[in-house]
Amino acid sequence: MSNGLDFEFLIDTFFIALSGVPVAMIITVISLLIALPLGFLLALTRINKMPILSQFSRVYVSFVRGTPVIVQIFIIYNSVPLLLATIFEKYNIQMNVYDVNPIWYALIVFSLNTTATLIEVFRSAINTVSKGQLEAAYSVGLTTVQAFIRIIIPQTLVVGLPNICNATVNLIKATSLGYAMSLPEITLKAQVAANASYNYIEAYMDIFIIYLIICSLVEYGFKRMEKRLRKYKIAPAA
Amino acid sequence: MLEIQSIKKSFGKNTVLDGVNLKIEKGDVVVVLGPSGSGKTTLLRCINFLEKADEGKAIFGDIQVDLHKASKKQINTIRKRTAFVFQNYNLFNNKTALENVTEGLIIGRAIPKDKAIKMGKEALDKVGLSEKYNAYPSELSGGQQQRVGIARAVVLNPDIILFDEPTSALDPELVGEVLEVMKTIAKEGTTMLVVTHEMSFAKDVANRVIFMDGGVVVEEGSPKEFFENPKEERTQRFLRRVLPEDYIYNI
Amino acid sequence: MEKYFDATYIWESIPTLIPYLKVTFIVAGLSVLFGSLLGLILAVMKLGKNKISQNIAHGYTTVLRCTPSIVLLFLIYYGVPAIAINFGINLNDMSAAFFVVITFTLQFGALMSEVIRSAYESIDKGQYEAAVSVGLSNTQAYWRIIFPQAFVVALPNFGNSLLELMKEGALAYTIGLIDVMGKANLIIAGNYNSHALEIYIGLSIIYWILSILIEQFFLKLEKIFSKGKKNLKTV
Ligand SMILES: Nc1ncnc2c1ncn2[C@@H]1O[C@H](COP(=O)(O)OP(=O)(O)O)[C@@H](O)[C@H]1O
Ligand SMILES: [Mg+2]
Repeated sequence: MSNGLDFEFLIDTFFIALSGVPVAMIITVISLLIALPLGFLLALTRINKMPILSQFSRVYVSFVRGTPVIVQIFIIYNSVPLLLATIFEKYNIQMNVYDVNPIWYALIVFSLNTTATLIEVFRSAINTVSKGQLEAAYSVGLTTVQAFIRIIIPQTLVVGLPNICNATVNLIKATSLGYAMSLPEITLKAQVAANASYNYIEAYMDIFIIYLIICSLVEYGFKRMEKRLRKYKIAPAA
Repeated sequence: MLEIQSIKKSFGKNTVLDGVNLKIEKGDVVVVLGPSGSGKTTLLRCINFLEKADEGKAIFGDIQVDLHKASKKQINTIRKRTAFVFQNYNLFNNKTALENVTEGLIIGRAIPKDKAIKMGKEALDKVGLSEKYNAYPSELSGGQQQRVGIARAVVLNPDIILFDEPTSALDPELVGEVLEVMKTIAKEGTTMLVVTHEMSFAKDVANRVIFMDGGVVVEEGSPKEFFENPKEERTQRFLRRVLPEDYIYNI
Repeated sequence: MEKYFDATYIWESIPTLIPYLKVTFIVAGLSVLFGSLLGLILAVMKLGKNKISQNIAHGYTTVLRCTPSIVLLFLIYYGVPAIAINFGINLNDMSAAFFVVITFTLQFGALMSEVIRSAYESIDKGQYEAAVSVGLSNTQAYWRIIFPQAFVVALPNFGNSLLELMKEGALAYTIGLIDVMGKANLIIAGNYNSHALEIYIGLSIIYWILSILIEQFFLKLEKIFSKGKKNLKTV
């Protein structure tokens, strides 16, 4: 180990790890597409204190934010096949539960997890967008649905943008736990490459660099967006 | 044109409106005065259904609605005939000045976009903001924001515009520009119900003044009668407080 | 392999797991201690006038924010001994806990530097000016006026970072630490991988309760310390 780094391996493995990026990105994007609207709707149930749904979101958020992602992964990974097996058996579906692509498990875990984060993000963002905005929309003749689509949601997104950025970065990082579901993403691919020759340091350096690049790009993108949208920010009172 | 009958509203045990009656004719500029907490804001909000009254009736030209039991459709009809200017402006933060003004036209009234833009520009010109069509609220001063707020209301050509202390969030040096705009639209015959603490506006522009206290109308009359010859003890006390010099002078 | 669900495994696993919380707590406690110190140093660098140390501190925070815990954990686990050996130090026999504490100290430090910085910056400059204007010295102004207020602002974020640390700490099992998570995996392996679901549910219940307790504790603390702030709201 003291003979320094194996640069050839470092470079080869970099590209192997890089080939895991699409899987990580697909999971990130789809999870966000599910979690953004779902998180918004559940945040509304909490703000409007809707019976049952609001209690449900509360417990849901508390559990997801109170337990490690890796434990959530293991719970989903071990329970879904059990459920599926029961269902397949009942309806006589000829399919092996172990043939299910792990990407499905990853999508379930990460959308559920991100939804919980976004419920909290939207809850505080919606509270920041003042009630006056909704009232002004009513006063010029917009319906509730029109007011939400045109006034409230765009402003909520602007206010919540820094936190949505955080949630996205955390989601990308969390996909590195896909190894626990045998998901061929960045970390698993590099790990497998390292197993053959015990070049773990090089492999983890590659993974480290890839995540650094991806997350920096994502953060940069969000910063640019924030700058562009800054003028929508709440106007000073006087 | 607009008649409000025995409107009542409580928040919990706090009775804020205790049977207020109001009659406004077309072209009237009615100023509502009263100490803070007397229910002025609540009155305007109930008329526009931003707050639901406990009881009361509104007669709006040919339509009559129960302020407590109005249907969604009735609420929408009344809101389309009224417009509201807010104390803290409430401009849509994610829209430019022009978009703020056209939003109600394009979305609320389904007026074609190019026509709405033309109307919006005219309205902004009228309030002296020809230079600011594309500015966002965060790029405008308070006085400019409130002028957009007024343009947003005027452009809808409503039967009546409700103003809730439109100048009280403004720095003193910006109050004048907003009052000037309000005076202009009053002169054009716009029907206005204005809650304000600007006595000069009440004296010079209003044709009727209403004094509220404790959730009821204590006194009402022409500005001349009201300021020179208030009948009620409570009105006199209020005027002594807000216009000490004038009051002594007039006596 | 039996594949049915048996809830008794949940209730039986919890008492077996709880003693191993001790390891979780020690590792987390040390990381919080060293991490807070590191965070303080980084925050001072960020708030200071020296551009170079500002950039170093910000760069450090960005890099750490972009690194998944598991990646950092393995980098430290494999990298630190490899570097140390060049200095003639053999760390290959160090316990896993050692590397876990380093990892989470580095991570917690990055989190805390932002918590401290933003708390400090949230205090209005007028507070300092007012303190000096009534005759407090520079140090007195900081100790008596600025820090107590910044502390209250930082408290909820500190609590959140602590929760984050505890949850990320669950990954320490990957390098062989036997904390609650590690023990849960051992139990499962001992059962020939059956009833894993029940054990993980038991484990999640422990974490969940722990999180709620920590959260409540910080809410209480906040209430106690923010007494002076109430006046602000009513004015
Ligand atoms: N949404 C509300 N909930 C509870 N009380 C309210 C609410 N809005 C107004 N009030 C109370 O109603 C009273 C009258 O308020 P308001 O109509 O704003 O008076 P004004 O505009 O004359 O100052 C006040 O005592 C106020 O505290
Ligand atoms: Mg008011």
